[in-house]
Amino acid sequence: MSRRTAFSAQTLALLAALATEPSVWRHGYDLARETGLKSGTLYPILVRLADREIVEACWEEDQPAGRPRRHLYRLTTEGLATATAALAAVPAPAARAARPDRAAAPRRLAREGP
Amino acid sequence: MEQLTRILTGILHKAARMLPPGRREWAEAVAAEAGQVPPGWPRLRWLAGGLRLVAGEATMMRKTVYWLGIGAVAATAAWVVWLSWRTSPAADAQTVTDRVRVLVGVAALVVLPWVGRRRGWFGPVGSSLTARLVRVAGCAAVCGLGLTVLRMDSHLAPGPHGPGPFSLPREIAALVLLGIAAAALAVVKIRWPDADAGVMWAITGVAGLLVLFTVPLQALVIGLAAGIFAVTSRRSPVADASLAVGVLTGLAVGLTIALAIYELNTPTDRYVDLMLLITFVATLLFAAFAGVAAAWLLPGTGDPQEVRMARTNQGLLAGSVAGAVCGLLLTNFFVVAVFMMIVGPLLGAGGGALGGAVAADHPPRSLPGRSWAAGLFVRF
Repeated sequence: MSRRTAFSAQTLALLAALATEPSVWRHGYDLARETGLKSGTLYPILVRLADREIVEACWEEDQPAGRPRRHLYRLTTEGLATATAALAAVPAPAARAARPDRAAAPRRLAREGP
Repeated sequence: MEQLTRILTGILHKAARMLPPGRREWAEAVAAEAGQVPPGWPRLRWLAGGLRLVAGEATMMRKTVYWLGIGAVAATAAWVVWLSWRTSPAADAQTVTDRVRVLVGVAALVVLPWVGRRRGWFGPVGSSLTARLVRVAGCAAVCGLGLTVLRMDSHLAPGPHGPGPFSLPREIAALVLLGIAAAALAVVKIRWPDADAGVMWAITGVAGLLVLFTVPLQALVIGLAAGIFAVTSRRSPVADASLAVGVLTGLAVGLTIALAIYELNTPTDRYVDLMLLITFVATLLFAAFAGVAAAWLLPGTGDPQEVRMARTNQGLLAGSVAGAVCGLLLTNFFVVAVFMMIVGPLLGAGGGALGGAVAADHPPRSLPGRSWAAGLFVRF
């Protein structure tokens, strides 16, 4: 019998994506491409993780030319510990599924290009 | 496609503004990223996801609005209590009765949700918007009832009008009766743990009737508040659709009857019999329609006999709700129509059960397979 974690498979996929480079600020579309999550799934998860202080969010400081400022996300220190523990507690097949794999990203997102 | 994208972007920006400040930036984040998503369907899907986020967060906003509504009801209740001490002369015996009624009503509104949280009969409130709206509006109507009583009595000269001046022995007798009923229920539960639920309901019913005869308006207000909390609680047997149908029908029939009474009202009370006839017939008919609608709105899957029974039950419940709402509305307009707070739910239950039974025997025809609407729902 597999042990249940507090996070859904989608949340684990997102945590795994954020944990690959925890110090780097990531933006939503980048995370959506990496995890294969749709915006309607990704953002509610980000909101809940930010509420639980697992993820911190901020707006880009400088106004880039030709596009609006982006909202950026990364794991907090406690969030990194939580993510590491959650990913370690997941059974191997589920962990593989949760781990983001750019090559295996869903076809829908592959079609969309970089 | 570009036009549709622009429209969706506009809607998302507007919808984001409706969210509380702490949540708004998340919807704005989705909109800000949309420019990076390849144009066409991918961008549309991205924006649609943003709208889904807003809809999800709006659920939280709904909870906030519900608690604001409860706060407004509490403030109104406090205002009614203050008015009851201010508008009528203290020497008037009727004033004391009013104060007791108002305090009993406010106490019912305060205590019952607390009891419900512990035991689950009256709370917590159901998750649907209908349940929350009906609960807040129902509590506001109970406060309105208090205001109506105060307004009416404040225009009358001191004297023996209404259901009679305050009587301490009567209030004590009602409390003693309630205590005896509660003790009887506890004893039956301990002594005969396997006792039939019907016995418990019989004891409760007899006690309720005795209290109703002793202190009618106080018992009615408590019963009304209990009914509002029970039908809107998470454990309520009333389906959301039945609740909505019942409330809307009750409001419609209540307003119709009120208009008819305004038209027929004369100083000589010439048309009283006609007014009563219109009130009873309209309540019965409208409740039957509510019963039909509620029965048809119940999904019809599973054992046909069980579905039929469930539809009849929903018809009965929707009719009762319609009758109760009609009674409450009429009492808010004309205090003399207070009898409708008892007769209304009974007539409504009868009409609703009749309509529900008829509708259960004649279920609506299922939508044809190639129907556009059927396809739409399957796709979603």
